Amino acid sequence: MEWLDAFLASGIRFTTPILLAALGCLATSWTKDLNVGLEGAMLFGAFFGVVMGLTTGSGLAAVLLTVLLGMVAGASFGYVITVLRVNVFVAGIVLNVFGSGATVYLLRSLFGVKGTLSDDRIPTIGKITIPVVNDIPIVGGVLSGHTVLTYLSWVLVVLTLLAARHTVLVRHMKAAGEHPAALATAGGNVTRVRILAQAWCFGLCALAGMQLSMGQLSMFTEGMTSGLGFVALAAVIFSRGRVLLLALMSLGFGLSSSVAVQINEEIMPPQFAQMIPYVVALVGLVVLARTSRDGAARIATPAMES
Amino acid sequence: MSTSTTAGPGRRGILRRSGARGPGRATTRLASAGFTLIVGLAMAVLLIQMQGFEPFSTLAAGVQYAVGDPTSIARTIAWGLPLYVAAIGVAIAFRSGMFNIGAEGQIYAGAMASALAGAYLGPMFTGAHLALCILAAAAAGAGLAGALGWLRAAWGVDEVLSTLLSNYIVILFCAYLATGPLRDPSRQSGTTREVVDTARFAEILPRTGLTGVVFLVVALCALGWWLSEKSVIGYRWRMTGESPAFADAAGIDVKGSRIASMVASGALCGIAGAVLVTASQGRFWTEIGSGIGWDAVLVALIGRARPVATLVWVTIYCVMRAAARGVEQVSTVPSELSLILISAIIIAAAARAGVFGQFAAFRHRFLRTKGR
Repeated sequence: MEWLDAFLASGIRFTTPILLAALGCLATSWTKDLNVGLEGAMLFGAFFGVVMGLTTGSGLAAVLLTVLLGMVAGASFGYVITVLRVNVFVAGIVLNVFGSGATVYLLRSLFGVKGTLSDDRIPTIGKITIPVVNDIPIVGGVLSGHTVLTYLSWVLVVLTLLAARHTVLVRHMKAAGEHPAALATAGGNVTRVRILAQAWCFGLCALAGMQLSMGQLSMFTEGMTSGLGFVALAAVIFSRGRVLLLALMSLGFGLSSSVAVQINEEIMPPQFAQMIPYVVALVGLVVLARTSRDGAARIATPAMES
Repeated sequence: MSTSTTAGPGRRGILRRSGARGPGRATTRLASAGFTLIVGLAMAVLLIQMQGFEPFSTLAAGVQYAVGDPTSIARTIAWGLPLYVAAIGVAIAFRSGMFNIGAEGQIYAGAMASALAGAYLGPMFTGAHLALCILAAAAAGAGLAGALGWLRAAWGVDEVLSTLLSNYIVILFCAYLATGPLRDPSRQSGTTREVVDTARFAEILPRTGLTGVVFLVVALCALGWWLSEKSVIGYRWRMTGESPAFADAAGIDVKGSRIASMVASGALCGIAGAVLVTASQGRFWTEIGSGIGWDAVLVALIGRARPVATLVWVTIYCVMRAAARGVEQVSTVPSELSLILISAIIIAAAARAGVFGQFAAFRHRFLRTKGR
């Protein structure tokens, strides 16, 4: 039973960054500005979490400052795609490349290191151990001993679920995507809602990145997100706007990443094990396209005619 | 194809320029290129200044390193050759509405195929061996991209996400081959065997790395341009990209065009991988591509998938990349400078119309309130 315990516990750990990024991206999918730059935003979050942690020396301050920074960056991203009318797909692709280039650039010019920045002074995000539950065999590994961000991500799932049903803001976001003119007529500000969705997305991506660099490990490595942002994007596309489905998808991807870590090298070469989440996503994409009546969701790609 | 709700009108289809028709077209383009280059230059100056170096002399040293004398020009071109082929490949797919952002994976597949053909198919007549390596690479890339293209055309599987995910699968699979069954036992790291000498292009300018592959690359670029802009097939692909419904109504085989354009795109990206192996590296190793596929996607985006514009931007980017290396040698500015600059340039190019519009609106408002 020990392997099951380890498998589920690490599955929950892997789910956290995917779930956080996917929840952020969900808002942008409501406004039909699907942000494909999750990978880049997460990388920035992971990097600045470490930088803020080293400068302030406190995990909490690092998290708050980085999320704030992320939201400012998201608002500027939103400004670029709404007011300056840059296609969101182009901006997202550029954000990914920019994220991988700029973090390396900053890593080398601020710290003078190449590859990996690890330091004892990087604060970690606190882990919560629930007293009694922790001792129950399998339930303990699932429910207890995770970082604050893991619990926060599941709280956010519930909040998003409630918000999607009951708040005006989410309705405004969906209206900004479905029928902007209607929202404008009803007195809403389409641009502001779209910018807000991007700010939310970037803030959560910053959290997702910090879960990687300060929650699971306490270091920053070049390209440490390694495709998790794209897996989160796949989860958003699969769920087509439904929060619970999104959480389940993220959990599925998290568990399949956990399989990759748990599988012994003798059974399967490590590269094949690492492929599992991507293969699952690709197969899922095909299944989705075959089964849904209204066709698979499309990413809004730009028109190339002049 | 009712599933293909690509960019809607107005709010989203934004790589186009509104005033880019008629006699003012050339000047508009020139103005826009000037604007983006000025933004890029300003960024470069700012970033170098922030590192505490004198920007203009540092930049000049970088440019000197990139294009200062014939040897360095040859070296810069030699670095850029795979990117030319890959960028043309990506542009062809973009033009027909297929957003093939799996170029990175296709480059790896091509590099692996040509490295295997070069190492295991025996020494033979050079020309034949090289042709074999390149064909193997083209087949690998074309097969990969064609399969994903078929999924999109026949089943409506979103090609953006499927090509994106295929990158990771292919790169991991190649890493498995290079570290597992096909590893060169005499080497520590994950590489395949070195290719036989007959599977390598000969240098045409000594000590520059510029090999005879340059003729192949020029021919492929010309072919890509002709295929995309001048041929009947290319016209069908472009119609498919601009309006699938119209193309269908006009009797164009939309499905076939989509698959064929992906096959062509994948073949070119695969050949880019073969160029890496046969012209410089001589073997496959686990990080051979180093982001060329993503560079190709960026360059094709900024060139708005026009072959000529794309090639011009590849050249500019190659000079930028070489100059960034030169800058790194005379200062502590990391060579990732070029990635930051190209990102800024793309956003500037895409936002130009918006920025000018904002500026005009602001001026209008300012003047009006002043007049009252």
